[in-house]
Amino acid sequence: MAVRPATLARPAPLAGRRSTLRGVLEREGVFSWLMLGPGVLFLLAFVAYPFFYGIFLSLEDRRVASPGIFVGLANFATLAHDAVFWQVTRNTFVYVAITTVLKLTGGLGMALVMNQAFRGRNLARAFLLLPFIVPTALSTIAWMWILDPTFSVVNWLLVRAGVIASGYSFLGNATLAMGSLIVVNTWRGMPFYGITLLAGLQTISSDLYEAAAIDGATSVQRFRYVTLPVIKPVLIIVTMFSVIFTFGDFQLIYALTHGGPANATHVFSTWAFDIGMLAGQLGMGAAVALAILPALAVLIVGLTFYLRRE
Amino acid sequence: MKTRREFLTLTASVAAGAALGPRRAAAAPKAMTVVRESSFIKAFDDYFAKTLLPEYEKLTGIKMSYEAVSVGGMLTRLTTIAETKSGPEIAMTAINWPHLFDSSLVDVTDLATEIGKKIGPWHDNIFDAAVVNKKWKALPWGNIGQLEVYRTDWFKEAGVSKFPDSWEDLLAAGRLLKKAGHPFGFELGHGFGDNHGWLYPLLWSYGGREVDKDGKTVLIDSDETAKAVDFCRRFYRETMFEDVLGWTDVNNNKSFLGEQISCTNNASSILVVAKRDFPEIAKVTDHGLNPQGPKGRFHIINAVSHAIVNHAPDPAAAKAFLRWLYDDKQMSRWLASGDAYYAPFLHGYDNHPMWNPEPRYLPYKESLKTARLHGWPGPASHALSESVAKYVLVDMFAKACRGDSTKDVIASAAAQLKQIYKAK
Repeated sequence: MAVRPATLARPAPLAGRRSTLRGVLEREGVFSWLMLGPGVLFLLAFVAYPFFYGIFLSLEDRRVASPGIFVGLANFATLAHDAVFWQVTRNTFVYVAITTVLKLTGGLGMALVMNQAFRGRNLARAFLLLPFIVPTALSTIAWMWILDPTFSVVNWLLVRAGVIASGYSFLGNATLAMGSLIVVNTWRGMPFYGITLLAGLQTISSDLYEAAAIDGATSVQRFRYVTLPVIKPVLIIVTMFSVIFTFGDFQLIYALTHGGPANATHVFSTWAFDIGMLAGQLGMGAAVALAILPALAVLIVGLTFYLRRE
Repeated sequence: MKTRREFLTLTASVAAGAALGPRRAAAAPKAMTVVRESSFIKAFDDYFAKTLLPEYEKLTGIKMSYEAVSVGGMLTRLTTIAETKSGPEIAMTAINWPHLFDSSLVDVTDLATEIGKKIGPWHDNIFDAAVVNKKWKALPWGNIGQLEVYRTDWFKEAGVSKFPDSWEDLLAAGRLLKKAGHPFGFELGHGFGDNHGWLYPLLWSYGGREVDKDGKTVLIDSDETAKAVDFCRRFYRETMFEDVLGWTDVNNNKSFLGEQISCTNNASSILVVAKRDFPEIAKVTDHGLNPQGPKGRFHIINAVSHAIVNHAPDPAAAKAFLRWLYDDKQMSRWLASGDAYYAPFLHGYDNHPMWNPEPRYLPYKESLKTARLHGWPGPASHALSESVAKYVLVDMFAKACRGDSTKDVIASAAAQLKQIYKAK
């Protein structure tokens, strides 16, 4: 068939435009920004803006519904002289440190068990995720009943079994209240460790274990020299995430104790909320919230460097 | 009022507003929203949302909506409304919130004056809560009183036929009742109302004060405070149990209705719920005024009110609605639906039929005479809110109850209050 040169010539400009657009889109620099764009915009709007606005607020004497007055670091200086602030700091670190150790060891144990072959394994995995899936506000209500001295099933069992004469005051005693919150947070957070570490465990080739077994390694040695080195990066990442989440834990503490008794369970997030939203001191509330930042920054930078070195 | 001209101008505008009434709203917005914290009395909310609002809608053509906020969440909601300058036109306020949100609220002095003339006068003690710089910033519809709620049968069994009139007598009764297996349970934890509801009155009744009228002189470090703290420690140890130190507002209700405690400090919601769900307990439940101490008897004010936010597109329309709502024809029916949960601050309602069906609610009306705002006699300031939000007073008493020395707990509270009130 004869081809008319004109027919070939006409589409040329359109094809040129297409190829230009496609060409532009296919450039790595453009395409990557197109893909990153929505995420970056989201982060700017919902993370960066509130974060920098928080810093801005913390430098102001800013009361609710009133214009702020720049006070520099005065809010932080006030906090440094407040005994409750130091109590809250101590509470936060105790809460985060103990729950992290418990969740890490418990989650690792959970992952190791879930990595074994046994009947009903998939069902067990699904059930173990439940604490993480159920909305915190709902599960906290259940815990409220469990820890209630009058209606507590734990107290009921202990009293009926003759272990104790009268029920424990799980939320009225300062030490028990913190202990109770740690238990509930561990219960809720352990599946996150368990499932994430399980994913890490499943990447380990069985050849490595077989080779170690042939070399006469015991099960402890296999864990120490095969399992642990392989899952270490996952372990560090999951710990970092968990520490960040736990530092910011709010719902559970607010619903169960609201920081009581006598501030024994107040942490940065709950205290910041009370000062910012209930006292109307938005500047001071932001300063309290930002007080977590140095600890988190050191942790994140430290772990990131460690991971890079590894 | 500075001049006669200003007085005449105000009077004329009040008269004009009264004459126009709800009709003014007909030319105004197509819709308005009222936001309030859910009441413990469902019928009260229902009457507002399902009867009063549709009536006003029919009258004016304005679509009226009601937004309910969960109990304890209204201050946060109000903060977001004021900060974002968006949302409902009419919002509930309580405690000292009109002072906190002063710059975001419309002056409703004209309405308050008008209502005061018709069904008032207003109780004197409401001015501290609702009037900011001589301007009414909210219109109270009632007080959620905090009184002693007790089991008449167990008190009688312990030989106490009349509710004790003094804190010492209540302590004596509590000793007997605890021995009989019926301890008291007064909240000492971080709830939002039942803790301050009895601890401020206790402090005041012993002559203690947080801060002076000037809002600068911290007075907490006094012999009177020490006596109140010492009493509280004995009261806790001899009549209660450890868990009250961690209680929030739901716990004493649950515990009373679970027949675990014989006396607590609460609003009338315990009896209301008992009548509905536990009629046998309701039969043996009654209310008593807070006992008096060496320096008198006190109660707490929690004046729930309506305020108009100043970003409302048409404040005049919002005012017209409130003028209609606070007319006796509406207000009377609405209050009656509330089971006497709200004690009105208007003397015209002192003998309102709302008090007739249930005489056991009468102490809530009586308590208004001796009711004061949190932090009294200090001003209803931002500092007061900070003290309340930081539980300074509650923790002072709670720490003493758990075993800290009186001197230490007062010193700690004094240090906090000096920082909050920026006192030297």
